[in-house]
Amino acid sequence: MKKVRVSLLACAMSITAILAGCGGGNQQAATEQTSGTSGAASGAQQQTADAGKPIEIDFWYALGGRNGEMIESMVKQFNESHKHIVVKPSYQGSYYENHAKVLASVSAGNQPDVTMVEVGSIGAFADAKVLQELTPYTNGAEEKYIPGLMGNSYWKDKLYAIPFNRSTPLLYLNRDMLKAAGLDPNGPKSWEELREFSKALTKKEGDKTKTYGFSTPIDIWFYEALVFQSGGNILSEDGKSLLINEEAGVAPLEFWTSMLKEGVMKAPPGEKYNAWDVAKQDFLNQQVGMIFTSTGDLRGLKEAAKFDLGAAFLPANKSYGAPTGGANLVMLAKSSEEEKKAAWEFIEWMTDTKQTIPWSLETGYMPVTKEAVESEEMKKAYEKEPNFQVAVKQLEYAKPRPMVPGYKELQEVIMTEIQRAVLGQASVDEAIGKAMEKGQKLLKK
Amino acid sequence: MRKAAAAHEMTASGHALGRTEATKARLNLFETIRPYLYVTPALAFFGVFFFFPIAYVIYLSFHDWSLLNLDEIEWVGLANFTALFEDADFRQVLGTTLIYTLSTVALGIGIAFFLALWLNRKAKIFGLVQAAVFSPHIISLVSVAMLWMWLMDPQYGLLNALLEFIGLPGYTWLSDTKSALLSLIIVSVWKGVGYNTLVFIAGLQSIPRDIYEAASLDRSPWWRTLTRITIPMLSPTLFFLLVINTISSFQVFDTIYIMTQGGPVNSTNMLVFYIYEQGMDFYNGGIASAASVILLGIVGLLTLLHFRVMEKRVHYR
Repeated sequence: MKKVRVSLLACAMSITAILAGCGGGNQQAATEQTSGTSGAASGAQQQTADAGKPIEIDFWYALGGRNGEMIESMVKQFNESHKHIVVKPSYQGSYYENHAKVLASVSAGNQPDVTMVEVGSIGAFADAKVLQELTPYTNGAEEKYIPGLMGNSYWKDKLYAIPFNRSTPLLYLNRDMLKAAGLDPNGPKSWEELREFSKALTKKEGDKTKTYGFSTPIDIWFYEALVFQSGGNILSEDGKSLLINEEAGVAPLEFWTSMLKEGVMKAPPGEKYNAWDVAKQDFLNQQVGMIFTSTGDLRGLKEAAKFDLGAAFLPANKSYGAPTGGANLVMLAKSSEEEKKAAWEFIEWMTDTKQTIPWSLETGYMPVTKEAVESEEMKKAYEKEPNFQVAVKQLEYAKPRPMVPGYKELQEVIMTEIQRAVLGQASVDEAIGKAMEKGQKLLKK
Repeated sequence: MRKAAAAHEMTASGHALGRTEATKARLNLFETIRPYLYVTPALAFFGVFFFFPIAYVIYLSFHDWSLLNLDEIEWVGLANFTALFEDADFRQVLGTTLIYTLSTVALGIGIAFFLALWLNRKAKIFGLVQAAVFSPHIISLVSVAMLWMWLMDPQYGLLNALLEFIGLPGYTWLSDTKSALLSLIIVSVWKGVGYNTLVFIAGLQSIPRDIYEAASLDRSPWWRTLTRITIPMLSPTLFFLLVINTISSFQVFDTIYIMTQGGPVNSTNMLVFYIYEQGMDFYNGGIASAASVILLGIVGLLTLLHFRVMEKRVHYR
């Protein structure tokens, strides 16, 4: 998923808001830096004396814009407080661009030591033995992270990744529109309520729909969410068979197509992240009352919205449910032992409570440690803006993304067939049947 | 060069009679090697960056390999190729690429030809129009793609606003399987037509005036002048444009990557994008290599065909 660009563009939609926000963010980071380094300086100097020459490690990241700047400033802070390590950060484009570059660099022998990997791809990377197993380095540190975010950290029961910028889909509400229509401003709780709300919010002028009740990009991430809500799974436990022809796999598609037929839901045009932008644009322009999008968009949308914006759990079918998303930090197997030790120190620092709190507050991504969620700082922020807590609360119902090695290709296949049904080119059964047939062939490969 | 060398040798032998056969032979050898020495740097460059990669991709196309783990590479014979040709999606990709190429080449060259006829005049205004038509050529294709995405936006785009202004319903452009390919063709033609026009105008201006004068003295009607003089005299230009336009259309990538990602529902997935997706996103290196070899084969064959069939009709002066 191109959440990187999505959040980047969400940022861009509110240029004025960005300018104010960016300036503020940098200043804050800068003050933190100065206050943070003074304390750590003495300890760091001592370490330099022991270690001699500092170790250089490369860190490749895949977030642009404001989030990327935030990463750069965190790395700077790390380098200033850890004199025995020099981390060299470099931006490598979107998640998947970064993946391709990392793989190419591994074969060329000039790979980074730490990088970000999209959570659904951890399996592919670990399976190919590109990643370093982390257990020898962590000393049990993995216990401090939120368990709901660790599902995509393990491959075949071994720890390979630490959560970093983690998101989950949310239902965004235009509370002003909901109130005007006499609906509960806290939003729909179930699929049926979502349908009723959408009907109440949809406004037509002649044959033309002026306002749609609901809109979502037809993306695998949201399909996964709806399958989880229906009590199902995309893949079987052993990852060898596709389960989307079960009731829980069919129900989401039937729900979407029936809402589209009733004219109360809009499938935003555009491919992949383009569709996400359209959905968000419509939402900000108040042409759509409710949308699904990532937690990562919360800050950007909140700043750009000229109405009372609310965030809520994705509505439940049999239960609440959502996948998590975003990227984890990993170490590469090919690095030297010395580099690996330094790499772990860096990963642990980047994801520690002290760093993850400002990271979460600035970006909208979830804090990754249990301690951070319980912290006074976070609680105060949540009190001020309860929307920011919704994602963390929803984690209780969240599941990891499927991560068999071929999932990237599989998800494209599923998405293409689902879109066929949404565009009315195939019936739900035909689309699911085709996706099953192609998907099973892929899994057997 | 060789003649000059021989002449030089003759005078040399005239002066220095004592030169032995051995030195002469050595000199001759040097003379034969010398041209190759001069082209070695260029040849090395081509070898490293063109010939070697071509050979290597052919080698890779017979193997199962993945970017994920390059140590495991396995000989599979023709399996990648049979998998591709048995795959309905790949056949669709090939078909779409062909339709796209035919349309962009025909439209791009056709429109440019008439534009060139119209613009091939002296007045300043024509120079201005010519510059305007050429300007898309110097803009990066990425910017062009972004620009057209805004124009073609179904809700907020300029094109639909214009259509609605004159009372027509908005068009789906990139958001529908039926119109997405056409939208890409429009962008490509818009981008390429300026360059084609410029080349045509250069061609037109190199046709000697006296032929036209002779034609007008004979009271030849304009269409006969066009078909009997202009087109035959322009045929080398036409041929050149045909070849390079076909090759570049076959390799379309940027617009797909930015505007449609091959969608909706694979309707704009074409060969190079398919190769990228297979190799970089899905880690099917073997399939991607085999598809690259097929692309190389098709483009090579088409170019050969152009030379065989068309060149006979080209009138070189």
